[in-house]
Amino acid sequence: MYEEPYRWIEAVGNRRQYLDDQFKPGSPVIGVSCDTGVLLMTMSKGTPKLYEIYDRLALGGMGHPADLEKLRFTLLEMAHVEGFNRSPSDVTGSRIVKYGIAPMIKQAFEEVFKAPFIVKILLAELGLKAGKDSFLTINFDGTFEEKSQYAVLAASAAIEQEMMVSLRQHPVVSLEQAVNAAVCSWAVGDRVQRQALDESGEQREAQAGSARLVNDPDLLYEHIRRCMNDMTIECALLDRHVPGASKYRTLDPDELERLLPNNLGRPAA
Amino acid sequence: MQGDFYQLLKGKGYVLGVPGQAGAGQNLTTATTILAFKYRDGVLVAGDRRATAGNLVMYDRTDKVLEIDRHSVMAIAGVPATAYEMARILEHSFKYYRRTQLQELSFEGKLRALSKLLKENVPAALAGTGAVAPIFSGYDAEHDAAKIYFYDILGAEFEGVEYAVSGSGSPTIRGILHYVNTWGEQPLSAMSEEQATVQALRLLTSAAEFDSATGGVNRDAGLYPVIKFITTAGVRTMLDSQLRSLFESKVSRGV
Repeated sequence: MYEEPYRWIEAVGNRRQYLDDQFKPGSPVIGVSCDTGVLLMTMSKGTPKLYEIYDRLALGGMGHPADLEKLRFTLLEMAHVEGFNRSPSDVTGSRIVKYGIAPMIKQAFEEVFKAPFIVKILLAELGLKAGKDSFLTINFDGTFEEKSQYAVLAASAAIEQEMMVSLRQHPVVSLEQAVNAAVCSWAVGDRVQRQALDESGEQREAQAGSARLVNDPDLLYEHIRRCMNDMTIECALLDRHVPGASKYRTLDPDELERLLPNNLGRPAA
Repeated sequence: MQGDFYQLLKGKGYVLGVPGQAGAGQNLTTATTILAFKYRDGVLVAGDRRATAGNLVMYDRTDKVLEIDRHSVMAIAGVPATAYEMARILEHSFKYYRRTQLQELSFEGKLRALSKLLKENVPAALAGTGAVAPIFSGYDAEHDAAKIYFYDILGAEFEGVEYAVSGSGSPTIRGILHYVNTWGEQPLSAMSEEQATVQALRLLTSAAEFDSATGGVNRDAGLYPVIKFITTAGVRTMLDSQLRSLFESKVSRGV
């Protein structure tokens, strides 16, 4: 029946709606460029969401863990074979997304008889020079966007917009400022997502709530503190000061405690 | 899904080395002196910088002490084309394993990876077109110790409990290492970093004295051996400026 064009369009529309619903309870992901390197931040319940892909490439993802793993392996294979056959400096985020996984995700999305990838990806790339860091976000339908300085993933484009507004309000130079900006942006995104889940359909109220939150850092920190009861802050850094080719490292709990604002890293008294 | 980069490459049609007899009898680029020994803080790995083909000196700036990852070094002796290829495969293999499996490959796993490559290369090694006899050193996190292993061209691995040598100049310094370690003022393993460096410079200078295929120090050109240290903190390379200073003050007498 999908031979008829309008049936196919209807099927793809249904699929888009189905996928939108899958991301509603997901944890947002934020990428921020700073003087130390490129920071990726999210909160997770055990399963990590941030990964090293290549010497200067890192990935953050939302969605089904099995799909994320499959695409992560695809990226790893492509990056390492390319780096071996040519040179590590030929492995760029732009190439492996545009000529690699984006067409693959799009094809899976449009083949209505097969399962789509329930995944959104943020690929961060540490530039060879300061100021040349970049981000690529890939949606579940294969569309991708290139950004510099900041990038976010969230359940919907509207929420991502809210998070970007929050990021722009924080001047970022140091790693500490990047962590603070990322944590606040995550709280904005997660708060709006939870409101949208609780008050499904009442989007206007959710937006008003988020606008109020953006201007109140204490409420954002309080939200993070509550989330830390069953989630862990996960931060990874493509560190331009790390010696050697591989620049990826995770921020350990001690370092994170020093960097987090408002004593967020310390256990509640 | 196993995180095996070499299998992935082979699946894409990659073949290591050139099997067969095509190059037998040719003057291939070879020769070397490489060494590794344990000193107080870990392992020192050193190598001269000369590459030769028959009687010709092909190059005097070869780097034969290759950092494979933050805690592993491979020193190469033999045909550089094959040795560099093996080093590139290992480097990518260790990174690929760490990134896919989300954990470091064990030290034993790293040793086996090199052994497998050497075994794959046996046809080329026996044909005389790709023999490689490397020394692999690294920090074994499970046993909290820096270790040295050396290989024959067929892939057999042997632990160098105190030291290991390879290459055309190695017979000369093997005896010296045994003597110094057994009857010297202190065993190699008690030496400080500076004492170990001076020892390595003297050993490579001795090898160059008796083996034309080993390059010594060329002060006019500012050419010194490559010396790396493996400790708990990872791999570190000694700067040429430091080598120059130690060579001038502790080695150059009589050279």
